[in-house]
Parts: sequence; structure tokens; C-alpha cells
Amino acid sequence: VTLVGELSLWVAILMAAWTTTVSWAGAYQRRPDLVFSGERAMYATFAFTLVASLGLWYALFTHDFSLRFVSSYTSRNLPSVYTFTAFWAGQAGSMLFWTLILAMYGAIAVFVNRRNLRHMMPWVTGTLGLITLFFLLTTAFGANPFERLDWVPVDGRGMNPQLQNPGMAIHPPMLYLGYVATAVPFAFAIGALVTRQLDGEWLGAVRRWSLLSWFFLTIGIALGMWWAYVELGWSGYWAWDPVENSSALPWFTGTAFLHSIMIQEKRGMLKKWNVTLVVLTFLLSILGTFITRSGVIESVHAFAQSSVGSWFLGFLIAATVLTVILVSTRLKDMEATAELESMVSREAAFLYNNLVLVGIAFATLWGTLFPILSEWVQGEKITVGIPFFNSVNTPLGLILLALTGIGPLIAWRRASTANLKRQFATPVAVGVASVAVLLAFGMRHFYAIVFYGISAFVATTITLEFVKGIGARMRMYSEGLFAASTRLVIRNRRRYGGYIVHFGVVVMFAAFAGMFFKKDYAEVELKQGETYSATDPFGDTWTFTSQGMSRYKTLNREVTAITLETARNGKPMGFMVAEKRQHFDATGATTFEPSTEVAINEMAKQDVYVFFSGLLDAETAVLHIHFNPLVVWVWMGGFIMAFGGMIVMWPQAQQRERGYVAELSPQHEGVLTGAGA
Amino acid sequence: MIAGGPRTRRAFLARAAATVPLLVVAPALLRAQPSSTVDMAGDFYIPVRPAPKPNATPSLDGDAINTLERTLACPCPCTLDIYTCRTTDVTCTNSPAIHRDVVRMVDGGYSGDEIVAELTNVYGERILMAPRKSGFNLVAWFLPFVAIGTGGVAIAVLLRSWRNNARASATLMTDGTVRPIRAQGSDEEMARLNAALRDDSR
Repeated sequence: VTLVGELSLWVAILMAAWTTTVSWAGAYQRRPDLVFSGERAMYATFAFTLVASLGLWYALFTHDFSLRFVSSYTSRNLPSVYTFTAFWAGQAGSMLFWTLILAMYGAIAVFVNRRNLRHMMPWVTGTLGLITLFFLLTTAFGANPFERLDWVPVDGRGMNPQLQNPGMAIHPPMLYLGYVATAVPFAFAIGALVTRQLDGEWLGAVRRWSLLSWFFLTIGIALGMWWAYVELGWSGYWAWDPVENSSALPWFTGTAFLHSIMIQEKRGMLKKWNVTLVVLTFLLSILGTFITRSGVIESVHAFAQSSVGSWFLGFLIAATVLTVILVSTRLKDMEATAELESMVSREAAFLYNNLVLVGIAFATLWGTLFPILSEWVQGEKITVGIPFFNSVNTPLGLILLALTGIGPLIAWRRASTANLKRQFATPVAVGVASVAVLLAFGMRHFYAIVFYGISAFVATTITLEFVKGIGARMRMYSEGLFAASTRLVIRNRRRYGGYIVHFGVVVMFAAFAGMFFKKDYAEVELKQGETYSATDPFGDTWTFTSQGMSRYKTLNREVTAITLETARNGKPMGFMVAEKRQHFDATGATTFEPSTEVAINEMAKQDVYVFFSGLLDAETAVLHIHFNPLVVWVWMGGFIMAFGGMIVMWPQAQQRERGYVAELSPQHEGVLTGAGA
Repeated sequence: MIAGGPRTRRAFLARAAATVPLLVVAPALLRAQPSSTVDMAGDFYIPVRPAPKPNATPSLDGDAINTLERTLACPCPCTLDIYTCRTTDVTCTNSPAIHRDVVRMVDGGYSGDEIVAELTNVYGERILMAPRKSGFNLVAWFLPFVAIGTGGVAIAVLLRSWRNNARASATLMTDGTVRPIRAQGSDEEMARLNAALRDDSR
């Protein structure tokens, strides 16, 4: 079966090459037979890539250690869920996994759009085939998971303990689903550029795929934050690590695109910019892959050095050059008579939203690559770490957050002063009031106050939008509160799904600001029976009493665990168990350096986070205790964003009773319903 | 996106460093050859142990040392600061070693700034978590804002030109009526148009 998988990989290469060749030839010569052949070859590419992947999974589960990949990342005693996830635990397997998703997307994109975009599809199919071909070739020649060893080890080296975490089962697939999905809008952009059709059905297809990519990237990034938080032990979820940055870059530009595409839909403007964003998002996801896999930039979770980097660099340059040529030869086709009635309008708000999002992406990319530039210019390597990104991106993030509230309130085309006053009065008042309340409660952290003031403002705007929409429905259709609110969202998924996403963003920002008040107690030494007391950011006193340590063996590791009895202001808050783990292989030999499992007591107000650093002597444990306010709301925010994204994406029946009210901007509702909003 | 261990070696670094596409400056970078071949694996920890000052007393307390170490980057590929790295990464030997050097200098009477100076003399600026706001490194700090400022101005100019395009045509007002910016129809015609629009939206 493994051999079949290996052979399938080579067949898939031929199929992908065939896809591209006949699709493009068919498009060029207008021969439907070639075009059909190209479509079917895309399906076949997916099928063979799938067989290759199944072959690798088979090798993993049968512990075929003659494969370098299998022996490098698994061992006989690895729990089977991690044997499954080992597929993407190493360079070679993750390349194949990436290719599998790409081929799957390619096949789906071709299947779904083969009729409605007939003119353009051969170019799209060919482009997808070409990208798939590149990934297949890189997998086969740069990092082949089917590479054999000269001898067969008794047992494999096992998996890095930090990857033995449930988050790892789902975080990489989600991130890959997001990353790879950027290839589809890119292929559509190429198709549209070649055929000079950047309107109509194309818009819908690109928007849907970008949304899909955004959706999975959001989940993937949020899960990555969660993994870093529970597994790396430094009690934070975002370190502006190059790999984290490279996952965020396409998210920023993709988010920018999802907003600016609306201007093209409504007004037919910004065609050049939108195509640029689509291309940029794809190139950034390739750049991210390059950064992760080449070892150019130091990172906590980069793959080991490999030749794959040069493949990606070549591809990146080729794709950039190709699209620059395509775009520049087609500038004329993308001209549009741009008209704008007022500088204060939804269009302008979207442009500034784009500026900030792309600005954040630029600042992040700039900081990530600056060490290389610095080495080149001044011959000295420097570090661009967390303080840089925080101080540059925090003000930008606040502007973005504010725009989240402002944008949806401003009417398309032109907003009148009276209208602005009416829209903004309540939200601004709530924002100012919450700042006053925070000041009264003694909060003095400047950024935190600004964060919460703006968050309150945005949350109020969103709430008012829902209140108005529901109220209008209840009056117009005499619906109950529940029916009105669900129908409001269902009938206008894009608008209200978008608001839900915005609400998730607000929740997340509010949670980020909580970390300004984080309290850390480092190097706490505790013997059995001893108690340590610490004050949390809310002024409560916590006590941690050591119940002693236990040592035991389980599965593939020896665990040293410390149990703490905790109490807040004397009231028992349960037990916390933090672990240190030493992994070993089937022969009992130790593998990897010792790792740790933190203990987290997650509450709405804060997380109590205990990290077991080590043993001072046989009796004394060294702990780090952190109080991290509002962390759970980061995960909640991510969940809300994903939920909102799902509502926006949910396919909408073509024929439906049109809910007139919410389709129009808020100020029209007043006109229609005869009531002032 | 996460695989492999934190201890990965980077022989590839020097060569690839010169070839990263900074998108705009890619061609220039491609021509450049690495100025020196830095073996990142070899020079992680370098002892920094200047002689203690005479009659020295510790210059900083424990919290101040932690604060200082938060501004220092661990030379291992963890991308964390010394304090965070040594308190969380049990496998890193660099950050505890540098921590010991820092404590030794503190005991030797060196002030925070002097300690940073001693360390940068040996490690170079990469020991700092963020580039100093001086010299070429100013570019790192200010370019993002310059870029966004330029973009903001460009958008303002663009919006203005769009608005000028719209000058000739009529405008849908926020109250649902249409009003030409330059009158094109008679008052009576406009009234009729607006009445029609009102009927339409009922």
C-alpha cells in the first residue's frame, strides 16, 4: 500500500502537468475536448494525491520505519491520534498534506464553477493545476515523505512532545485549509486577468473562496494561539514569532479584500486594487510557507533546514513576475469611472479600513524581515521582537477597532451631518461613559482605557444595529422577538454575519487589553505542605499549597506532577496539577528534552496559570505562577468570529422573500417604516 | 505550520538571508552576497564577565533584573526574551547562562545601562529585543508609519478626484431624494423625480 502511495505521487505529477497543459491549450485554441480533459485531469490529480496520502497514513500506522519520515516523527508507543497527526508533524508529510488540500480545493473549484464561468474556467483550472504541480514536484524532489532509509530502525525517534497536544490535531489542518484556499481566488484572478473579465459571476466566486480562506485562517490562527498558550508555557498566546506573523499576513490582506470587494460589487470601482489584494494574499501565504520552511528566519517552530526553501523562493518570484506582467498589460480593462459623492461615506471608510489592514500587514512583514535587511545593510544582525510589534501595531489595531464601529454606521455614497449625529450620539456616549467608569475605578493604563473605550463604542454600534433591525421587523411583519432576530440574520446573512464577526473582534480586543494587567510570580519554590500566597490583578489573595509530587509512567512518558491546592481569599478554588514529562521510546531510551504541561484554571475573569519549571532538589519544586486576565475571551472572540463567518458563508437560496428593511442602510429604514431610528 | 523542534540549526541561513524577497528590494537582495558567514549554531552563548567594580554593591534588585532581562533577546531561536525564555524553556541553556552573567555584573556594581552596553559589545545589537531608535534602525520603527501616512494621503487625493468625477452627476441624498450638485433640471422636474422616488420606495 505504501508503494502504491509512492507511485501515486508520481502519477499525480503527470496528471497535474496534463491538467495545466490541456486546460491552457484548450482555452487558447477554444477546443472543448481539451478543456474537459483538463477538468477530469484535475479530479484525477486529486484522486492520486489522495491515494498517495493514504499510502503515507498506512505507513505511519503500520510503523514502516524504513521510511525516513515515519522513523523521524513517530515511534511504536506514540498514541494513535498522534500517529495520525504525524502526517503533518514534519516537513515532508506536511508538504504532501498541503498538496492534498490544494488538489482537493482545485477539484472542488473546478466542479462547482465549470458551468457558470465557462469562458474563464480553463485558465483557472490550468493555474490550479500548475500550483498543484509545483507543490507535487517540491514534495517529490525537495521533501519526499516516501524517502527510504538504507536500513530499518527498530523504533522511530518519536514525536516532539510539544506537538503531542490535541490542538495539533486540528490547528495545522485548519491553517492549511485557510492558507491553501488563497490559491483558488488567485487562480480566479489569473483567469479573470487573462480573459479580461473582472465582473459578474467572477466576483461571487472570488468572494466565496476568499471567505472560505478567511474562515479557516481565523480558526487556524486562534487554535495556534491556544496551542502556544497551553503548550509553550510562557503564559502568552502571541509572541510575534515569524511563523505566527506569516500566518497573520494573509489574514490581514484577505480581510482587507473582503471589505473592499464590496465597493466593487456596489459601485464597480477598485478593480485593480481588489485583484492586487487577491494576488497579494496568495503571495503572502507562499511567503509565509517559505519563511516557515526555509529556515531563513529564526523561529520557535520553523521546520528544520531544507532545500524546500529555494523551491518556494523560485515559485514566489515566478508568481510575482507573472502577475505583475498580467496586471500591467491589463490595466486598461480595469479602468472604471470612479465617482464619489462625499469624503464621508462608506466607500471612504472601507478605503481607510484597507489602509490600516494592509498597513498592519506591512508593519508585520517589515518587522519580520528587517533583521535580514539590517544584516545586509549594516552587516549586523539585530532582533526585532515583541516590543517592536506591540508598539507599532497596537495604535494601528486601535484605529482598526474604531473603524469597525464607524464604518457600518456611515451611509454609502454620502452621510449627512444630521445622520451622523443621530448614528453616533449613543455609541460615543457609551464609550465616553465607560472610560469615565474605568477611571473612577482607578484604571490608569492609557492603552487599556483607550481599548475599552473604543470596544464599548463599537459594541454599542453593533447592538444598536441589531436593535433597529429587529425592531423594524417586529413592526413590519408583526413578528415576535425571537422570530424577528433569527429572520433578520438569516435574511441578511452578509450584513448581520459581518456584525457578528465584528463583535468577535471587539471581544478579542477587550481580551487582549486584559493582558496589560497580567501578574507574574516567577521562581516560586515550594516543598510539600508549604503555601505560597500571591495577589491577583483584581486584588484578591490566592494561596497555593503544595500537596507534594508524584512520579509515574504512562504511555510514552514518565511524568513528574505537582499537585497544588488553591484558594482565593480563603475560599477553596480546587486543585491544579502541573507536569514535567520525559518522553521515551519503545526500548525505554529517553527521547527529546524534558517538556512541561502547564496547569490552567480558566475562569471568566482570569486564568491562573501554573508552570512547573523544575526541581531544585528532590523535595522542592520551582513554579511560575501567572494571573492572566480575560484570556478565555480571546478564545470566545475567535469562536464568535468563526460563527459569524459561517453565517456569512452559508449558501443562500436564490429565490427568497426579500427582507427589504435590513438590505438598506439604516437611515432608509426610518423612511420606510415611518419611524425615526 | 508548527513542526520540528525549537533547536533547529540553520546552516542555510547565511546564503538564504541574502535572497529573501523583500518584495520590492528582491532584485537588489538577490545580487547581494552574505557579508559574513555567521554560524548561528556556534555562537549562541558567549561569556560576558567584566571584572567587578571595586567595593561594588548589587546595583539592581530581583525585579529590576527581571525587567532588564525582558529587554534582552535570547540568542537561541526561541525569539523570546531572556527572562521569559529562562523561566519557561527548560531546554534552553543560553538564557540561564546569560542570566548568570547579568547577575554577576549586577553584583559587580554595573548599572542596567552598563550591563546592556557590555552585552551589546559582545553579542552585537541582536541581544536587544527591539532595535535601538537610532541610525539605520530608525527605519525599522518609522517606515511602517511613513508608509501608512503616505497611503492615507494617497487615499485622500484619490477620494478627492473621485468626488470631482461625481460633480457633474446627480446625487442620492441620505433622505432618499435626489439633488443635483449643479442644477440640471428645472425645479419642477426635480420635484417630480423626487416624488417618483418616494412612491417607488413605499
